[in-house]
Amino acid sequence: MLQIVLSSVRHNRGRYISTLLAIITGVAFFSATGIVSDRVTGALEGDAAREYRGVDLAIVPADEAGSLGDTGRTLYLDGSTIRKLAGLPGVSATAGVLTGPASFLDAKGKRFASKATGRLWVDDDELNPLTIDAGRAPTAPTEIAVDRGLAESQHLKLGQQVTVATAAGPQQSTIVGTTSFGSSDAIDEAGTISIPRSRAFTALSDGREQYEAMYLRGSAAQSALVQEAKTAVPSGFKAQTGAAFVADQAESAGELGRYIKRALQAFAILALLVGAFVIYNTFNVIIAQRMRELAVLSAIGATPKQLGRMLRAEGLVVGLVGSITGVLIAIAVTTIAIAGLNAAGVDVPGSGLALNTTNTLGAILLGTSITLLSMLAPARRAGRIEPIEAVRSAAVEPSHVSRRRALIALVLGAVGVLGFLAGSSVEIVGAAAVLLFIAPIVGSPNLVMASTRLFRPLLSRFGLEGRLAVDNVARSPRRTATTANALYVGVFLVTLVTVAGTNLRDFTVEQINKIGSADYVLTSTGATLQPQLLDRYRAIDGVRQVVGFRRSAVTIDGKASALSSGDMKAVGEVANLKTRAGSITGLKDGEIALNPRADHPRVGSTVKVVAQDGTTEELRVGAVLDPESLDTAQIGSVVTPATLERLAGPGGDTVAFLALDDGAGTATNTKIDDLAADRPDVVATEGNSLGRLIGDIFDFMIKAVNGLLMMSVVVALIGIINTLSLSILERRRELGLLRIVGMVDPLVQRMIRLEAVLIAFIGTLTGVGVGLLTGWGAIFAITRLTDANVAFSIPIGLVGVVVVTGAVLGVLASILPARRSTKASVLDALAS
Amino acid sequence: MPTQSAQLDSPRPTTDAQLAARAVSAAKVYGEGDAAVHALRGVTVDFPTSRFTAIMGPSGSGKSTLMQCIAGLDRLTSGQAYIGDTDISGLSKQELTLLRRDRLGFIFQQYNLLPSLTAKENILLPLTLAGKHPDEAWLHEVVKTVGLTGRIDNLPSQLSGGQQQRVAVARALLPRPELIFADEPTGALDTSTGQEILSFMRRAVDERGQTIVMVTHDPHAASYADEVLFLEDGQIVDRMDSPTAERVLDRMKRFEG
Repeated sequence: MLQIVLSSVRHNRGRYISTLLAIITGVAFFSATGIVSDRVTGALEGDAAREYRGVDLAIVPADEAGSLGDTGRTLYLDGSTIRKLAGLPGVSATAGVLTGPASFLDAKGKRFASKATGRLWVDDDELNPLTIDAGRAPTAPTEIAVDRGLAESQHLKLGQQVTVATAAGPQQSTIVGTTSFGSSDAIDEAGTISIPRSRAFTALSDGREQYEAMYLRGSAAQSALVQEAKTAVPSGFKAQTGAAFVADQAESAGELGRYIKRALQAFAILALLVGAFVIYNTFNVIIAQRMRELAVLSAIGATPKQLGRMLRAEGLVVGLVGSITGVLIAIAVTTIAIAGLNAAGVDVPGSGLALNTTNTLGAILLGTSITLLSMLAPARRAGRIEPIEAVRSAAVEPSHVSRRRALIALVLGAVGVLGFLAGSSVEIVGAAAVLLFIAPIVGSPNLVMASTRLFRPLLSRFGLEGRLAVDNVARSPRRTATTANALYVGVFLVTLVTVAGTNLRDFTVEQINKIGSADYVLTSTGATLQPQLLDRYRAIDGVRQVVGFRRSAVTIDGKASALSSGDMKAVGEVANLKTRAGSITGLKDGEIALNPRADHPRVGSTVKVVAQDGTTEELRVGAVLDPESLDTAQIGSVVTPATLERLAGPGGDTVAFLALDDGAGTATNTKIDDLAADRPDVVATEGNSLGRLIGDIFDFMIKAVNGLLMMSVVVALIGIINTLSLSILERRRELGLLRIVGMVDPLVQRMIRLEAVLIAFIGTLTGVGVGLLTGWGAIFAITRLTDANVAFSIPIGLVGVVVVTGAVLGVLASILPARRSTKASVLDALAS
Repeated sequence: MPTQSAQLDSPRPTTDAQLAARAVSAAKVYGEGDAAVHALRGVTVDFPTSRFTAIMGPSGSGKSTLMQCIAGLDRLTSGQAYIGDTDISGLSKQELTLLRRDRLGFIFQQYNLLPSLTAKENILLPLTLAGKHPDEAWLHEVVKTVGLTGRIDNLPSQLSGGQQQRVAVARALLPRPELIFADEPTGALDTSTGQEILSFMRRAVDERGQTIVMVTHDPHAASYADEVLFLEDGQIVDRMDSPTAERVLDRMKRFEG
């Protein structure tokens, strides 16, 4: 039995090529994604675990900061806290973490490595996550160390003199060492500039001794250390055992990798599912072409069960071969790619191949089971063959298209549309989308017949070859339909993502822009905005108003937050600041205009505010801000200058809002950005940048998803090539005849090209049409089910691109089959 | 045998009759070295215009190869083939295709019609490909001659085998080609239908001055020809004017014996 199966697969090798290609493409992508992301994730997690292994106790912020809108909330541990902790029994060494913006200035004063992070050098070797690769640790105020990647990309050498720009201004320094973080170059995304303790506070925190977090090393048990430390940990921070801290670090280091892996593998699975159409088609054709052979087997006594089993075994063999090849290709490709990247100077974390059994077996299992599933129906059909078929002439696929199919498809589609129009929940709308998606697949043979009727007049104008192309496409509507379906799936998703995505983007951006805000926000990280600096901004042509205020990180009722104070009347003029209750201008000393939060404190209630150094004060809620303003996020809560001074000590402005003249042009923007270049701690953000940022995120997502969907489109392309090749094989007699009676080769090839374009068009147009309908339905349902009023518009340009791409894909898919169509001798027409 | 062959291969004493096609020392070898098969071993032959020539011979004698090489469907290994005065051995693929389209007609055993085109469209195929319009009167006459009147809007699948072959004959006749090649045109037909088809071909030669070269192994079919050429082992070994089925059969029996 196995012998028959294997020899049959060998014999039909040519026919199985497309099936193999479809499986290999999907499996290789799936497997390569797994290999690369596991390697990177594993390396990053390993780095975190290794580099922080000396930590026995960690004092870290109690809740995750840094999400959108949480500006100005970074809390610090001050010097006294760290000394208190260092004095605890059993603690042998401490290390504080302090970072701030830092970059280099070239000879002309131009900034480079502008997104780098300045980092306080940890003197305790065991607690320092960084390792010295070359040179030594920085100690003198004019010494720094840079990470390996930065040194390489910016061509920095040991002993080189550089100008380091920090919040304290430019400073001539000498590079005395290069560092690395585990197998990665740097701990910070855009590079690390390590600054010794003798300079760090000046450079990174305006001269104050403060830390973002603290690592401690000790002889006592970790849990005992945590118990002891608890009393000394200020509000907004928590004490963690070294083990828990390392686990957290590893988790967050690997988080992105794991997330990307899941997302990419989802697309690989989609590509495999699209491949299922190709596999299904191929098996159908192979079985149709072998009807006679199967009928002979049936005649000599093979039961339907045996025939089915034999064919399934063939599917198993093909699936296994394809999947294993896919995994091998993935290994080869990733090895070469990583070697290539390393040679090109791009550091890929980790080493070796992350070849775990989950990756390998998972990919093989996935590819094989999809192959098997795709061929169940063809195998069953083949099992039911009548022995009489053996003596009949060529087995022809039934070209009869049932009307019932069309009817079912129409009903499905109608129910889907109804679901959008009247569905009362998200689930129903989702089901409606699925129905609408399935309907064209069910009715695809009818759709093919309708499309060929529609395109016949148009293609006939191309001449005889156009006319014949339509006829050939319509000849076996089911096969054409399955081929087009593979493309339909990809195009449908691309269209849906594009249409729904762009409409939601436009809506969201519009809503955000409606909120309105200051034109520019200047923020200093770790330093102050001196009045002279603000005057320089005032002097810029086109700047109407500059209002500075002081913002300080505190905890309010234990939650990290920010307090602002200053000329709030002026702030209100520039920013779109509103209150829900009370007024800001009427705020008295000891009162707070609270940024609203989940438990809705009322005016008159009190909140407990703890400053950085532990100074605590109960404040009476004098007003509640309206969060429907972007600037509220910048401000946090508002107190009077006196209140803030009591809590956080004396200090200058740290944030400023800028208002521009209505007609201010890009020259103004450039000047604002240029001024910020002198002070790396100052960030100038455009007030409407949130809208733009969110728009960018939407655009990126749409592009990324569509890019990945291309995988499935490529597999669909294989399907078109496959179908055309098989149809050419079947039609070699006709093709030969056409060439004998005078159709020149270019015309024959044009005919094949037109067939490919037509099949591609059927898939593409159905995908675009149904995608648009579903996109509209989704937007309509959102508008209906929520109070958001999302306008629907068709991104005509994008839809045009999709349609043209479909045609181009068709032409691409036809290259090989067209060449093959005229390669054979015309004498094929005479072969019987 | 060689001497006889040399004598018989010499050009036939044609007086003022023009030649529709001819082959000069035509040789065709398939494969190389030990596996080489010599399908034609230097055949020189003329096909005068307005004649119906049949080529006969046992299987593997090279009769189909000869026809295919003269018709520009295959290329000679050495020697020349001419259609009229055109040496086709030097023509490109495209030039060959255009030559077939404009100057030759073909009738095959397997009808070879395009299933998606109607009978009429199949008949018009060579003209359509050449971008020419048919002479309606002539089309009408050809259709009438082959007995397809009233059926020309049917698809091939709606026609019997004999009717399909009539379509093929009409397709070959319609453009009035210089030369029609027929490869076993009656091979797939029953006797009486086959006779009808052969009669059409005969009449085309007699009444229209059409030139036809037909490959067949059927002595009865050959009897419709003006002359029969006998091939064996890649060489012309005999020829017969005004053949009858009996005489051809007798000659053929000698091959087997």
